[in-house]
Amino acid sequence: MKTKIPIGPFHIGLEEPIYFKIDLKGETVENVDMINGFVHRGIEYLAMQKNFFQNLILTERVCSLCSNNHPFTYVMAVEKIAGIEVSKRANYLRVVADEVKRIASHMFNLSMLAHLVGFHSLMTQTMEAREIMQDIKETIWGNRMDMSANTMSGVKYDLNDEKSSYILSRLKELDPLVDEIMDIYFNNKIVKARTVGVGVLPKEDALRLGVTGPTARGSGVNNDVRDRAPYAAYDELKPNVCLEEGGDVYARTKVRWREVKDSIRLVRQAIENLPEGPVVTQKRPHVPAGEAVTRSEAPRGELIYYLKTDGSQKPERMRWRVPTYMNWEALRVMIPGNKLTDVAVIFNSIDPCISCTER
Amino acid sequence: MIETLKRKVKAEIKERLDAGSYDLREEADEKGNIQLWIKLHNRKDILHIAQLVKDFGGRCVIISAYKKGDHHFLVYHLDIEGMLLNVEVELLDNKIDSITPILDSANWTEREFKEMFGIELIGHPNPARLFLDESIAEGVLGEYMPLSQAMNGAATCCMWEKIESERETHEN
Repeated sequence: MKTKIPIGPFHIGLEEPIYFKIDLKGETVENVDMINGFVHRGIEYLAMQKNFFQNLILTERVCSLCSNNHPFTYVMAVEKIAGIEVSKRANYLRVVADEVKRIASHMFNLSMLAHLVGFHSLMTQTMEAREIMQDIKETIWGNRMDMSANTMSGVKYDLNDEKSSYILSRLKELDPLVDEIMDIYFNNKIVKARTVGVGVLPKEDALRLGVTGPTARGSGVNNDVRDRAPYAAYDELKPNVCLEEGGDVYARTKVRWREVKDSIRLVRQAIENLPEGPVVTQKRPHVPAGEAVTRSEAPRGELIYYLKTDGSQKPERMRWRVPTYMNWEALRVMIPGNKLTDVAVIFNSIDPCISCTER
Repeated sequence: MIETLKRKVKAEIKERLDAGSYDLREEADEKGNIQLWIKLHNRKDILHIAQLVKDFGGRCVIISAYKKGDHHFLVYHLDIEGMLLNVEVELLDNKIDSITPILDSANWTEREFKEMFGIELIGHPNPARLFLDESIAEGVLGEYMPLSQAMNGAATCCMWEKIESERETHEN
């Protein structure tokens, strides 16, 4: 029997507003149509009405879970146009802030997976471990989400011995917890039953659609910007690119957990090798006319900023693209052929962020 | 490695485009990343560039549009194994050929500049609206529009009022 089922735009199983029109045959999804645009706010237009410093505040508020990457990539574009050199210390500190955000973001998504497969004790356990990262953010940057770590020509915070040893001691606490929880996600029967072979994205489709981040890496495509086009201190602090071949929800879950482990290593390495130097080189840089493109690896994948200036205080044009923008279309490949109950699990596995996709 | 790739891509561009129909400059940063900036004089040539990127196994990252004077400019950001190609095209007649039939990854971004800037898109397989409702005219990025209207009332009481009134008419 064929039925049509709508999910969304506001639905208990979805984290964010999106409207799925699903054609069902029995229990299996035959076709899916997606309608978006429910949270389009015109932020790009707003960014062109604000000056370079105001945009630092605005870009941080485009998205919450990858809030650090937006001002990070934006300031790199400004620095490129203005020819500002960033100190080595500031670059290392940028990596610390970015990787801390990545751990927290991945763990949030993974706990949502546990929630969606109905394993609530595992969700609580993951969120409880993630709370360590939230504590670190609150202690070092004074906020649990928007860290406001970046500024033009450097960073707004510094680490002394006390703060550094605080982060390291909390990471020491987190590390065994991650090992323990990871083992459940990798081997537990309930988790595996709902993730293995579900929502498969074949490698050729991943390449064709240009998907990014853990969604691409779960299908064996290396699009990690930190590795492909290093920025900040990633030429010295090399990330291990985590690739899986399965292309299913399970593969993407594995990629995220392995990246959590790798990010913990990167934070440690950055703090232990923190170079000396100033954190900011220019207080009020002049931004001449020019254009620049910069990229960074946000928790969900590649984030790109295009900035064009005309010598005034405001950008002439500013455009950015977030990872979910590319990963979205992959849902049309992933969802058909699966059970209706798996739609929310598959949707979650691309770690969707509609707020920044639609801007 | 990236140097070899750059040489190969540059040689291909030289072969596929007419001499004098484009300007090319290179940009390198201290980490060894290379970006090529290409300015096309003929907007049709974007199809050749798209085919070239596809042949190299690349993808379309995004397309930035902006308006200067009375016409639009597009900047295509294309990626080949971590190297970026930024291709600028000036649209004197506000029309552009779609590269989506060649590069699937350009699908959304072409639809977005169509609805935000009102640029005419030729040959897109699915030129439907991306974010904006059909009731909103194309090319809205240049004008003021209240949030409730842009979101079709989805975040305000407007939507519920609309549903309520529709239900009442339906029941009557």
